[in-house]
Amino acid sequence: MADTGYYFYAISRGLDPDVLNTEVGIEQAALQLVKHQDLGAVVSHVSLQDFGEEGLRRNLEDLAWLESVAVTHDRVARFCAERATTAPLRMATVFLSEDAVREQLAQWYDRAEEVLNRIEGRSEWSVKAYADPAAPAETGGDEPPETMGEGMAYLLRRRTEAQRRESTAQADAEAAQAIHDLLSNHAVAGRQLRPQDRQLTGHTGEMILNGTYLVDQGRVDEFLDTVAALRSEHPGVRVEHGGPWPPYSFATLEPE
Amino acid sequence: MTEPSRPLVTGGSRAAPYAAADRPQPANLADILERVLDKGIVIAGDIKVNLLDIELLTIKIRLLVASVDKAREMGIDWWENDPMLTTGKPDGLRDENRRLRERVRELEGGDG
Repeated sequence: MADTGYYFYAISRGLDPDVLNTEVGIEQAALQLVKHQDLGAVVSHVSLQDFGEEGLRRNLEDLAWLESVAVTHDRVARFCAERATTAPLRMATVFLSEDAVREQLAQWYDRAEEVLNRIEGRSEWSVKAYADPAAPAETGGDEPPETMGEGMAYLLRRRTEAQRRESTAQADAEAAQAIHDLLSNHAVAGRQLRPQDRQLTGHTGEMILNGTYLVDQGRVDEFLDTVAALRSEHPGVRVEHGGPWPPYSFATLEPE
Repeated sequence: MTEPSRPLVTGGSRAAPYAAADRPQPANLADILERVLDKGIVIAGDIKVNLLDIELLTIKIRLLVASVDKAREMGIDWWENDPMLTTGKPDGLRDENRRLRERVRELEGGDG
């Protein structure tokens, strides 16, 4: 067993260990629940060749590997979150023995309870807003007269473009803040994540808001209605939502 | 509850086109990575790897490489494609462009 580690996906409260038989973890390995009082650590065996320090360092540079582990991590966290109050762990938390997992769970008991209390009966919803870069705004400047030197005309044009970009950027920022504030009012908490890079997502337009919200189960419809209303209030902005997510963004206690 | 299907993207390729936006969008790889790498409870495992480094090394570098490929269409060489500047005397314009770009930088910086 020396070459086997325990990959720790999430902490669940009140999860029935038997349901874990209906899902699998990384490399199709069986999921297990390591219990401490009412908390359970959801784990599966992984090879330390891949998940030891050296292996991880190597593998995490491989985007295909990273993608497959990230997706599995999320799938397991999601599976548990749909069945019990669940706080996902950050990806690639690996222990060398079941005892080490249980010890950590015991040591983390109070803080884990705190996190679980905060997210119980709630889920995370993502709302992104995009501005269309081709959106008109004022063109502001006139075409330079034909007699103007090419260099000066160019300068003028650049300046006009810069001014237009600036006022557009300000309007975008204000719209993003207004959307975020409104959604936060219908949620327990809201956070703005960094706008995503289009190289990774392929999105069109400018992502002006990458918000994520912790929403009470009983208020999900209200929250989604608010999102729908935003679409008519901000016709120049495309609003997308996703969820429910396991509450990753609201389970972020750091170690002391 | 059924899991949403996930048209995951790898590298720079594109996932599904935008559907009617009143339905939840499927999670893409960026959505998952920004959560599993950057959020969630942080417990120090027995295996120590700094994911923030990984994020920088893997994702940022890949994005950078992809961006270099895209630099042209994203306008890094805007002066070469500007019809106003490429008609006429390209050679004489090159020097002027360099001087003008410096002035533009000053102007844009000065206007804030």
